[in-house]
Amino acid sequence: MEISKISKNDFKSFIDQKIKKHESRTVGVVKKGSQFVFADLESADDMQLDYDVTILPPKKYFQPQREVLLKFVPKKADSYVPVDDCEPIAIIGVHAYDLAALYLMDKAFSEGERDEHYMKKRENSLLIGLYPTKYFKYRFSRSVTREEGRKVADVMLVSIGENYVVEILTEKGKKYMEGANLKKNDYSAKDIEDAKNSVKDDQKIPIPIELIPEYLAKNHDHPVWEHFGDKCFSCGSCVLVCPTCYCFDVKEEVELTLLEGKRVREWDGCMLEEFAVVADGHNFRAQRGSRFRHRIFRKGKNLPEKFGHFGCVGCGRCADSCTADIAGPVKVLNYMEENK
Amino acid sequence: MCENCGCSEQTQKKSIYLPEVATLKRKFQMTSVDSFFEFELKNRPLGHQPGQFAEISIPGIGEAPISISSSPSQDNKFQMVIRNVGTLTNAVHTMEPGELVGIRGPYGTSFPMNNLKGKSLLFVTGGIGLVPARSAILYALEHRKEYKDVAILFGCKDPSQRLFTDEIEEWKKRDDIIFHESVDRATGYDWKGNVGVITTLLPKVEKSINPKETYAIIVGPPVMYKYVIMGLHDMEFADDHIIVSLERRMKCGVGKCGHCQMDNKYVCQDGPVFYYDEIKHLKEAI
Repeated sequence: MEISKISKNDFKSFIDQKIKKHESRTVGVVKKGSQFVFADLESADDMQLDYDVTILPPKKYFQPQREVLLKFVPKKADSYVPVDDCEPIAIIGVHAYDLAALYLMDKAFSEGERDEHYMKKRENSLLIGLYPTKYFKYRFSRSVTREEGRKVADVMLVSIGENYVVEILTEKGKKYMEGANLKKNDYSAKDIEDAKNSVKDDQKIPIPIELIPEYLAKNHDHPVWEHFGDKCFSCGSCVLVCPTCYCFDVKEEVELTLLEGKRVREWDGCMLEEFAVVADGHNFRAQRGSRFRHRIFRKGKNLPEKFGHFGCVGCGRCADSCTADIAGPVKVLNYMEENK
Repeated sequence: MCENCGCSEQTQKKSIYLPEVATLKRKFQMTSVDSFFEFELKNRPLGHQPGQFAEISIPGIGEAPISISSSPSQDNKFQMVIRNVGTLTNAVHTMEPGELVGIRGPYGTSFPMNNLKGKSLLFVTGGIGLVPARSAILYALEHRKEYKDVAILFGCKDPSQRLFTDEIEEWKKRDDIIFHESVDRATGYDWKGNVGVITTLLPKVEKSINPKETYAIIVGPPVMYKYVIMGLHDMEFADDHIIVSLERRMKCGVGKCGHCQMDNKYVCQDGPVFYYDEIKHLKEAI
């Protein structure tokens, strides 16, 4: 790792040059009303690096809400052709927990059968990460992540006063930062560590994450599932904003001319009623409580057992987006602890 | 083709979602909703094992997972029985020999036919559960000497729902296999056979089967498993002698899309065939 620093103004000018050179798409965090979103940057003036959370995680650049997998000519089974999107993209200012989520997403799409549609987009991406600088009331990432984000980030920024400490983690990151006005770092290791941890989480998971798979296994029939399930609107907001949810549906679309069609992948979610319905109409998770349990089990037990890694990064988006105020894992586990 | 960087065709072919082409060779109707289909892959045998499934595509209509019903064979042909229950299966039913479909697969685990050699087999099949089970039944009959007793039980809703009736007649005639079938309801049909749910057939084989050296293979509708397993337990079958094939929504077939997940298992990859003792602790299994 190479460590240096850059003034916040210089960093902004540097990104501005990157946008103008257009060697790749440059994406960053921008304001949308009172909230924040990841979007293409037209000018570094729009770039926000001091934000609480974005509405959607940067996952949308690698597994888009809607993505063409194949093209075809209707009814011609020998006409299927895969479609890829290989445009280079640089994403600036991704919080550490969202990077940790991409670490998990990479596992999901690369292990076992390798999904080139996702992996190609990831290979063509450059990620400049950022330790969060603003409090978000639902965030609990410190109790569920352990710096996994550094395994996928090319560069990490640590905000200290008028500067960013710049940690270059990959060759790709080094190349990207060429031409930036980097200066010798003169902050102490302690200063940097303190800055990384300057924003505290109010919330935390009440159980060490290593113990959660077994804890959930023992609590399969806990009243919490029905208790919270009864309040659930099955709207799917919690899974649609989640940075580690990657379930999808595949649909066929045909142009009005009937001369061309597309096989399209779209986000889907296990909290939606139809998710586990089979051909004869049988629904393997017809009860809201069983869907609620499945989502928590997937994050806390099934994904850890499959990938050796806890399936939630504590971003708090699910809790924030939930109309019924039941989706947050902290709330669920606290309820279980209080009602043993 | 890649619209942005023109990456090579070699890389393009790596998409795990890209179907291969197969030709419909033969089809005939079996019941009012089920038809038999024989497909042929262009360049290779499907290479499946009994119990596996494949994804069938029609461009413009969609894709669906379908059980493979034929025994693994050396040529490029394979068979399926498809129930007309959705848009894709409806479109397949309208196809005529010579037309093309897309195929991905084979996917999933298979009945452990090699490990079962030297043992007796008890097939317990309900409705279209006979379709995937037939791939193992045919395999066992092709290698009949390698297995001890072979018993097949088949149950369906009513006589009009019976599948593979010609083959069933052959099975009935053979003296080296035991075959019993039953229908849930026979009212209104000229039916002289057994009437009752599939579990009513278990007592018919109870005396001739030694559960210690027999493996039971169960395939049927979701509601069937619990009762059949209870019946097998009464016959003193151990859980590691019970093999099930489970239905779920196998949308992608490659362990990604999440629709087939059953607790921590992806049924499309970890299943559909499981030893019962491997999944009995899973609350969502049966």
